[in-house]
Amino acid sequence: MSFDLTILQMASGLAQHSGARLSLVSQNIANADTPGYTARDLPDFGAAWASSQSVQLSATRAGHFGAVAGQPGTRATESAAFGSMSPNGNNVAIEDQMMRAAAIRQEHELALGVWSKSLDMLRTAIGKRR
Amino acid sequence: MTDLIASMAASASGMAAQSARMRLVGENIANADTPGYHRKLVSFESLAAGTVAAGRVTLDQTQPARHFDPSHPMADAAGYYDGSNVNLVLEIADAREAQRGYEANLRLFDQARQMSSAALTLLRR
Repeated sequence: MSFDLTILQMASGLAQHSGARLSLVSQNIANADTPGYTARDLPDFGAAWASSQSVQLSATRAGHFGAVAGQPGTRATESAAFGSMSPNGNNVAIEDQMMRAAAIRQEHELALGVWSKSLDMLRTAIGKRR
Repeated sequence: MTDLIASMAASASGMAAQSARMRLVGENIANADTPGYHRKLVSFESLAAGTVAAGRVTLDQTQPARHFDPSHPMADAAGYYDGSNVNLVLEIADAREAQRGYEANLRLFDQARQMSSAALTLLRR
């Protein structure tokens, strides 16, 4: 049986990624009226997964190549809607953040679905009734 | 899982901040006819963990409206007294914005709760 559990790693990675993204989106919504606040988001899971699969230098100290100060991997979102930058320097568009939240929920449900189905397949393979 | 908890904490702090703002709107509207009242303003500030809190309350220093009523007990020699500088339209707009922000926070809180309970149901199988 060529079932090397990468799919389980991937599913749990996707679930973690969606949780981390939801945390950023919640912070954006909470700060939707804070002057000078810039909305933040994570890169796509696909990009994060691809970069974690290829061989690269590991950054274990702040001075190393590839080390990013502060929260790793977050980036400021480009304000999607025209005019979402308000006069007080805040660029959170609530509608845009809601769209992201819906996408995150889909991501999370996909991850949990893949996880449970893979476990079902494993159980079937070892001959247990579900 | 800790991310989802952090997300709920951020949403809850957002709801608290918006309700603090709503309270000030209520106080301003209640005092719209109080002579000499200055409307209260609050600005939000973000805290370290991504949460938000209502900052210091400041008073709007706009000149209050002057009303002519010689029979008013607070009228000066010319018959004018200072009203409040509350603008009801502005307050209603502020209340609407606070409500919209509160609802968005509430929705995100609910989504984080649902996502964490969906993850926990996997344990129950």
